[in-house]
Amino acid sequence: MTEQQLMALLPFMVLAAASIVIILLIAFRQGHTVIQVTGFLLMCLVIFAMWYVRGVLPQTIAPLLIVDGFGALFTGLIVFCVLVVGLFSYIYFEEREENPREYYILIFLSTLGAAILTISRHFMSFFIGLELLSISLYALIAYLRTRNNAIEAGIKYLVLAALTSAFLLFGMALIYMETGSMDFAVIAQRLNAAGKSSALFLTGFGVMMVAVGFKLALVPFHLWAADVYQGAPSPVASFIATVSKVGVFAVFLRFCQELHLQNNSAVMMLISAVAILSMISGNILALRQQNLKRLLAYSSIAHFGYLLVAFLPGNNTGVEAAVFYLTAYAITILAAFGIIILLSPGEKDADSLSMYRGLFWDKPFMAIVLTVALLSLAGIPLTAGFIGKFYVLTAGVEQRAWLPVIVLVITSVIGLYYYLRIISTIFADSPVTIQKERSLNQFFYTASYAALVVLTLLLFGIGVMPAVIIQGIKQFLVIDR
Amino acid sequence: MGTAQILFWSLTALALISAIMVLVSKNPVYSVLWLIVVFFAISGHYILLNAQFLAIVNLIVYAGAIMVLFLFVIMLMNLNTETEPQKSIWMKFFGVVAGGLLLSFFISFVISSADLKGKSAQLKEGEIGLIKTLGKALFNDYVIPFEIASILFLSAMVGAVVIGKKD
Repeated sequence: MTEQQLMALLPFMVLAAASIVIILLIAFRQGHTVIQVTGFLLMCLVIFAMWYVRGVLPQTIAPLLIVDGFGALFTGLIVFCVLVVGLFSYIYFEEREENPREYYILIFLSTLGAAILTISRHFMSFFIGLELLSISLYALIAYLRTRNNAIEAGIKYLVLAALTSAFLLFGMALIYMETGSMDFAVIAQRLNAAGKSSALFLTGFGVMMVAVGFKLALVPFHLWAADVYQGAPSPVASFIATVSKVGVFAVFLRFCQELHLQNNSAVMMLISAVAILSMISGNILALRQQNLKRLLAYSSIAHFGYLLVAFLPGNNTGVEAAVFYLTAYAITILAAFGIIILLSPGEKDADSLSMYRGLFWDKPFMAIVLTVALLSLAGIPLTAGFIGKFYVLTAGVEQRAWLPVIVLVITSVIGLYYYLRIISTIFADSPVTIQKERSLNQFFYTASYAALVVLTLLLFGIGVMPAVIIQGIKQFLVIDR
Repeated sequence: MGTAQILFWSLTALALISAIMVLVSKNPVYSVLWLIVVFFAISGHYILLNAQFLAIVNLIVYAGAIMVLFLFVIMLMNLNTETEPQKSIWMKFFGVVAGGLLLSFFISFVISSADLKGKSAQLKEGEIGLIKTLGKALFNDYVIPFEIASILFLSAMVGAVVIGKKD
């Protein structure tokens, strides 16, 4: 391994070292605040390392990893999400007076798994990254084990994730049997040499889709989503909604790009069927939902359906649209979960919609942030969600994927109903039911509010001036291969 | 027919028969015991392919550790014919049909795959499964995933401690 390859891996090594540092801090009996601040600084260090090594990119670390602009972009997004989630976690766990210190180890290990997914170009690293991501998530979901729902959600996720891992391995084995390699590039070569797509490859891909669909909560593998979002602690739910999905989507996107699967009509049909089903059922299931966390779960199913429409073209526009959409989605969902976390009273989460009745008259700041986040999820102009959806539509229309595009438009309109329903609840004229004493560390409250303000400003900023972000994404994607 | 082939066919027959016995045994403990026989037969296949390391690991991990876990769970749950939920005949029928279709689906793909025709496995002379080759591959080409796998175990350990500790 050359010096430059080591350099390129530096951010990932810092990320791996971060969890060890936290373990040592726990061993030396440091408090929650010290661990939180150290964790925050370490994540900043990862981002700094990423910026520091940008000159040596792209680097291929044969045979498993490739650190290129694509990987750096997604890793940056992931680390950004972890920064925000970590910040919100402090208040959440401090109020529950549970011991939250091991939580940070697991969060960082899980992040490492997601980061490895973004730079993998081989089935081996794909699988190891995915396992690292999900094994830490099992423990994270069940972290507050005194709550009934937590254990149920943890077990549900464990059983289903283990099963889908088996599916993933089986699919990989079938593709290996067909092509004799686990390297994405070599698989692409062999498939091109063979000319037509074989039944064995299609079966393997279909079986792999089970695992990918499970991780991205796509229909028909979405059954866990609502229960896990509800049962998991709110910061963990936001972690699943952003980091875990971004990582898996990144590796899936790289795999399909490398193999030029957009030319394979059978695969495209499969993916568009999944996209259409996800858009329709995600939105319909959310319609009557009274629990905000479950509602966000269903809306995330629908959003990843939209994202697959951007994915269908498979050209550069599609990749840009997907990255842009994911960024906008991550910021939005973090803002929404941030509000849930800040409003949650000690013993349970503020997830029932009735708790938000008349929120505007009591806490106008939070109500406005939540409203902006919901408008962005619905795709209202001037917010990031609108530009994201517009970009996705452009990519879809360019490829003439009419059916998914039409379904996207119709289901977006359906989606508007339940987002507006929440907004009307927030502004309803009635006394608010969330009572919460604030005696904790004022500094972290200020930091969390500041984070929320930044997220909201980002939502508007991207919505009003998308060109800046799009230019940035394009510049990163140029450092490719 | 050489010794290797005789061994291969007898091990195959043993593996298949004991796998069927796993399914048809009424008593779950017998099922587990038959499963151990399956693992031994498959380990025999690995040895035929000159993959001694894989054979030993298969025995230690599956026949050793995992089967003991299985037995513990079955004993703790105290399963027997009375507590077994009775499924209707139609459930069984559709289960057989669905499973059989899936099996024939995969078998047909394997058979129709052109690459596999006329190829035979390397008996005895294969080098790939030797522990020396494996170690070289693991610590040269695959050293990064090896390290990542160790982090994976770290996360599993931390997770187990977090969930299992007393307050």
